[in-house]
Amino acid sequence: MQKNNIFSRKTLALPYAVFMILFVVIPLFLIVMYAFTDADGKFTFDNFRTFFSGGHNINTLMFSIFIGMANTALCLLLGYPAAYILAKKEMGFGKATVLLFVMPMWINFVLRTAATRDLLFAMGISGGEHPYFATMIGMVYNYLPFVILPLYTSMTKMNLSLIEASYDLGANKVQTFFKTVLPMTMPGIASAATMVFMPTMSSFVISDVMGERKISLIGNSIQLYFDQGLWNLGSLVALIMLIIMAFGALCADSEGESDARGGLW
Amino acid sequence: MKKFSALILCLILCFSYAPLSFAEETVLKVYNWQDYIDEGKDDDGAKISDSVMELWEKDYLSRTGKKVRVQYDTFETNETMLNTLRTGRSDYDLVCPSDYIIQKMISATEKGNDENIAIEKFDISAMPNYTKNVSPYISELFEKNGWTEYSVAYMWGTVGFLYNPETVLREDISTWDFFWNTDYRNRMTCKDVSRDAYVIGSLYVHRDELRKANKKYKKGEISAEELQKIVNTAANDTTAENIANVEIALSDMKRNIYGFEVDSGKTDIVSGKIHANLAWSGDAVYAMDLAEEEDGKELEFVIPNEGSTIYFDGWVMPKGANVELAQDFVDFLCRPEIAVMNMDYIGYTSAIAGDEIFDLVCENYEEEDGEYEYDLSYFFNGTLSEDKYTDGKAIIRTNTFGRQLTTQYPSTEEVARCGIMEDFGDRNEAVLEMWSKVKSNNITAFSYVMMAFLALVAVFMLTSSIKKKLKKKKRMRR
Repeated sequence: MQKNNIFSRKTLALPYAVFMILFVVIPLFLIVMYAFTDADGKFTFDNFRTFFSGGHNINTLMFSIFIGMANTALCLLLGYPAAYILAKKEMGFGKATVLLFVMPMWINFVLRTAATRDLLFAMGISGGEHPYFATMIGMVYNYLPFVILPLYTSMTKMNLSLIEASYDLGANKVQTFFKTVLPMTMPGIASAATMVFMPTMSSFVISDVMGERKISLIGNSIQLYFDQGLWNLGSLVALIMLIIMAFGALCADSEGESDARGGLW
Repeated sequence: MKKFSALILCLILCFSYAPLSFAEETVLKVYNWQDYIDEGKDDDGAKISDSVMELWEKDYLSRTGKKVRVQYDTFETNETMLNTLRTGRSDYDLVCPSDYIIQKMISATEKGNDENIAIEKFDISAMPNYTKNVSPYISELFEKNGWTEYSVAYMWGTVGFLYNPETVLREDISTWDFFWNTDYRNRMTCKDVSRDAYVIGSLYVHRDELRKANKKYKKGEISAEELQKIVNTAANDTTAENIANVEIALSDMKRNIYGFEVDSGKTDIVSGKIHANLAWSGDAVYAMDLAEEEDGKELEFVIPNEGSTIYFDGWVMPKGANVELAQDFVDFLCRPEIAVMNMDYIGYTSAIAGDEIFDLVCENYEEEDGEYEYDLSYFFNGTLSEDKYTDGKAIIRTNTFGRQLTTQYPSTEEVARCGIMEDFGDRNEAVLEMWSKVKSNNITAFSYVMMAFLALVAVFMLTSSIKKKLKKKKRMRR
């Protein structure tokens, strides 16, 4: 192969590399820089002090992590059986049914959430009276497809002979599930969890619309600070969130073994 | 190959600059609120007539023979607009911020400490339509606050409650106590804007003192100006003590109201989801019209008895603007017929008075058999032709109160108890911190549990990963 071929790996990677540097690396660097400086650009730890001295900020952080975990758990509980049924060919659910589950993802989530708000109100669950409950419903509804898809993929890739073997060796259905099916779908679960937990924590539109703006997530704090031109404090909150997310990604990575993954992540 | 592409590049450049260089077209860059000018579109966004900008372009061409073009951009909040200017890379000739931002910009200009938001001075003598038609009430207000040189008023209004009189009693909602009234739990919304919420909380905290002042004013013991001053001090009190009190008040309020909103309140009250909401008078008029059209519901607007605030949006010219052109455009907006167009289109109240505006108000709201003489002299005096006055007063006969007319043009007494929201200056961050406390979830005990839980998870993960590594090592030894 010629060295200056237009289709060499190097040249093909170039557009994305430029994109990455412009829109990922530089902004990341800016966030870190802003988090450690004050409005005049001087180095300072004051933003940290302001953030952690206000008990409400820690409340918001903890609450966001909780909502993220609760949403992940609920989505997995709902999505796992659904994906399992879909993936089982003998149950007669084709790709069309999978489409039905995934289709809500195609509608813009702001519109979808606004519609959910009105729907819940008509059902008697108003965000004003039950802000936490309504927010939870909105979150689960929005992120369920993100769980079903990776689970479905990892389940269709399952080695069915292992399940048969388990039965042959005398395991009952429950044992078979926990000893063979669950471990085999672990990569799918890990990628599903990362796809739900992190966006949930940082989302602010869903909690705003569903909870009638009575609920604050960490995303709301960032938005509030940025909106008021307090770039430094906002960047610090964003940085803290990024660290938590990185930690979450590491956890998920250790769960889903790298050579046997079937997920999207 | 290289030469060829260079040639193409040159051609592209030539063509892209051609219209500019040949027609000598000047561009006026205007940055305004969304839906805040007649854009000549119908409800579905289809173009049905010339926008105000296009009318000005034609008018300017016929007057001077020079071609101009308006580049019109919009923003959604004052803060977004300010952030855009602060980048230092925008080159707008005209911006339309609210009162407290104008104040901030003026102080930045005079102190010279924030040049990105510094503004140019208007030469009012070059703006005949403005000087002739501006309402005496508005120009006095501007004069009193020292804004005359820097800003030209565009639209104004009051802050109050919009409510459904079928389900909410007027006497209950005629006070800020309404937000804390448990009889109406979960039936009203407040604005999710830190400043507006703060001012309401502060007025509520000062309610006793304000009620006394209002009584004195009614008895004639203090003047309108004195009352305004008292309301102003109460609304803009940013002492640490007051911030703490407001925080408690607003936290209580949060438990009692349905929720906060920015834009959904208008439609939610029409659909019946809520029964009252905090509203800017312009939005209230819009919602009243909408409710009437959709299902004949008659919503009302009230300015609470303790007092409230007046807001207005004015034009300013950022430093480096094309002053001459910008002034010409603003003066064009001050023509009564243009002001009428804008008022009709957006539902807000123009700062411009004059015959055409008065006729519009009469045409829309005057009732032939109206028993009450609604006196708007404070707003129209000196701008109308002789035959418009009744006994020297600008009077509109009416029987209805709390509807569009009184919302667009509050009465003299209502105006007397309205202060102005000021720039909180260096107290802004303290107020914001208070607001983020109010908005956050009051769950300290829960967050301790959560922290303990997270610590447990971390320990568990650490031990399990160490175990795994040990296992691997064992396997390798085997």
